[in-house]
Amino acid sequence: MSLFSSEAPLGGPFDHPAKDDGLKHLGPMQRIKAPQRCFNDSDLVDYALVGVGSAGGVLVQRLARAGFKVIGFEAGPFWDTERQWVSDEAGSRNLYWNDLRITGGKDPLALGSNNSGKGVGGGSVHWASFVPRLHPSDFEVYTRDGVGADWPIDYEDIEPYYELLEREMPVAGPAYYPWGKPHGHPYGPHPMGEVGNVLIKGCTALGIPVSAGGPVAILSASHGNRPHCIYRGFCIQGCKVGAKASTLITHVPDALAHGAEIRDNAMVSRIGMGKNGSVNGVHYFDAEGIEHFQRARAVIVCGYALETPRLLFNSACPGHEFGLANSSGTLGKYLMAQAGNVILGRFDNLIRQYKAPPAHALTEEFYETDPKRDFARGFAVQTVGPLPIAFAKQMMTAKGLWGWGLRRAMMDYNHWSPLGLLGEILPWEDNRIEVADGRNGRQEAYDKFGLPVAQVTFSLRDNDKRLIEFGKNKVMDIMRAAGATEVVQEQRYAHLVGGARMSATADTGVCDKFGRTWDVPNLFVMDGSVFPTQGSANPGLTIQALAARTADYLLMQGESIFTSKARDLSNPPCRRDLSPT
Amino acid sequence: MLLRKEDDSPEPNVQTKRPLDPSTAVPLELKTTPGYYPGLHALKQQKFWDAATRKLVFDRVGSTPPIRFFTPAEAATMQAVVDRVLPQDDRTEATRIAILPGIDDRLFSNRIEGYRYEDMPSDQDAYRIAIKAIEAIAQKIHGTSFHNLETMKQEEILQSLHDEKPEAAEALLKAFNLKRFWSMLVSDCCAVYYAHPYAWDEIGFGGPAYPRGYMRLEGGEAEPWEVDEQRYDWLAPEDTISDRPQPTND
Repeated sequence: MSLFSSEAPLGGPFDHPAKDDGLKHLGPMQRIKAPQRCFNDSDLVDYALVGVGSAGGVLVQRLARAGFKVIGFEAGPFWDTERQWVSDEAGSRNLYWNDLRITGGKDPLALGSNNSGKGVGGGSVHWASFVPRLHPSDFEVYTRDGVGADWPIDYEDIEPYYELLEREMPVAGPAYYPWGKPHGHPYGPHPMGEVGNVLIKGCTALGIPVSAGGPVAILSASHGNRPHCIYRGFCIQGCKVGAKASTLITHVPDALAHGAEIRDNAMVSRIGMGKNGSVNGVHYFDAEGIEHFQRARAVIVCGYALETPRLLFNSACPGHEFGLANSSGTLGKYLMAQAGNVILGRFDNLIRQYKAPPAHALTEEFYETDPKRDFARGFAVQTVGPLPIAFAKQMMTAKGLWGWGLRRAMMDYNHWSPLGLLGEILPWEDNRIEVADGRNGRQEAYDKFGLPVAQVTFSLRDNDKRLIEFGKNKVMDIMRAAGATEVVQEQRYAHLVGGARMSATADTGVCDKFGRTWDVPNLFVMDGSVFPTQGSANPGLTIQALAARTADYLLMQGESIFTSKARDLSNPPCRRDLSPT
Repeated sequence: MLLRKEDDSPEPNVQTKRPLDPSTAVPLELKTTPGYYPGLHALKQQKFWDAATRKLVFDRVGSTPPIRFFTPAEAATMQAVVDRVLPQDDRTEATRIAILPGIDDRLFSNRIEGYRYEDMPSDQDAYRIAIKAIEAIAQKIHGTSFHNLETMKQEEILQSLHDEKPEAAEALLKAFNLKRFWSMLVSDCCAVYYAHPYAWDEIGFGGPAYPRGYMRLEGGEAEPWEVDEQRYDWLAPEDTISDRPQPTND
């Protein structure tokens, strides 16, 4: 038992933030001036960004640093993490986009908590922050396997931006990472929790290589005014420590310091169409529900895989009757989620799965297509770390438990170890986002502003089902090899990408390789919705790397973005001088 | 009431709804903290929590929202349902967790999870329909309200919903996907119960950990302020079917 005196807190008494000092506290040490209004609606700004999440945070920072007048619109709040975030599972629900969406299809996706953010930082606020890169093969899935699609870029195009963003977050992981194109990480790996030990033990027993301690965007050593990780395990509840990277703490403070405006609690409802087929700004609702129009010379939509297509559909206007930038008919289509089955193993020894970051060990040994298997592409196996409520729901689903059976199983919470499958599901045209305005003959549903909500349809195809079956069984094998005496699983999904994919030609996608829409020269899309395929890597790093690359493109193009319809698809030089300090 | 009180008053009659000691088949005594971590008490660690978290957790423990969504009749049925979905007969009166008010508050405030299935009505309508159906089933089989039934009969009705084989009210339940309702019901109960520090103590979860953090990550080792597991045998009460193995989806 404890020798520890509860009268003497470790590290001394905690310094609570002052009631109102006019500052935003981001973690215990970082303090910034609260965002101010910089522009009037009638001012003509260069760029209006819709959504300040993973992509929007990086873009707004770089554009501001390059001297553009830029506003980042965010439907949710600008967080004060010390005062508003809690070290509590149920208390963190407002980090997610919890507004109504309709979900259907043969395998309907659970939305909300698992895959969308609301508030500055967006999903990067509650991601587990696994940051593997895509593999070179991901960019040519169609060429290699005859399924899915090719990207209009190669691995070499994005590689310098992976290196850049891994330093800006920065990423902790092994010095040599063997999968895809081998690379290292700027910060050393994290120590293991017992869930990571389960993965290592199981993989080692089966001869499967495994990566310990990363790659994760969590500080393994302090960085500037951000302390290192304290291994409390509340990563997806928002990191109060500030050890886990989110654009809220990595890029947005630098954006503000360079003159950007973040207009929070501002829900963009429609993109304005001006003369000559160009957009001229955004309509938005403020916190009081009053509608405004902000003039802008160009608009970049960074609303992620559901809200981006929704906004483009809701911006339909004469000449764009089926949604803005939808002449290809692909808007909303080719939506992807990754198979995210959670495999749960019971061990005789104690695990205490709530300690250490949920993300701290993985294997990508099964990532690529293997001709010996009966499906294309592959999967990763990763650590996860459900807190009690999430774990109870997994026990309910995986074991069908309720009543005394559920209470009894939960008393064994500390004996269970979870592991997660992360499997590539291919892009299918029928897996899509529409808006629930009744025009497709299905139900209507509107949000509090009267805007039709997103309606999502998702069904697995044979390749996906075979991949999930194989992957799930492989993870169960690993769990048993680690010594689990009982193994069960829950089928679920993680991450959302696609819906406004980039393409090499105007008839096969919504935007070009820089996110510039094929139909409207000064309208861009940049977020996870531009992915043509998804690999079995968590999408966050790739989203931020693509955003940094698009920022370089915009800088290279300069005024012509606002004034010319000419489309220059030459690659920009990688600017290493725009990183936040 | 912020901190639990020890409740030493003996129960007037020995309820068999409590878990049993397997060697003697005698119901285990009422506990302030069921589970295998005697003495673990998350609330005692409050000095090591940040202010925002402390306020949130103490508000949760110290105040029970009023019933505003369910009608009194609906609340009576739901209370009986919740008492079987997450039974607390092994807890002392003072340390039982108020689950129904948490669900009611969610529905009253329209705190949804961010989506609705195409084949489901709103969460609020789903509960109202399900309560009607549960009452109809109880009336048809037993000729009385669900909340008047003895434990086993209540559990049989709930098990039939779990198995998607209700014995009546088929027309009512056609309005939605019963599997999704069951899942929402159990999830809602778990979301209230396992958000409570008394439940954290029961399962050995350390609770809030900022700014202190954890120092012992491996081997399932307890932090200096946590307690080691002390297992004992545990049998579900005799008059229950909810502890039996359920078919899994593998």
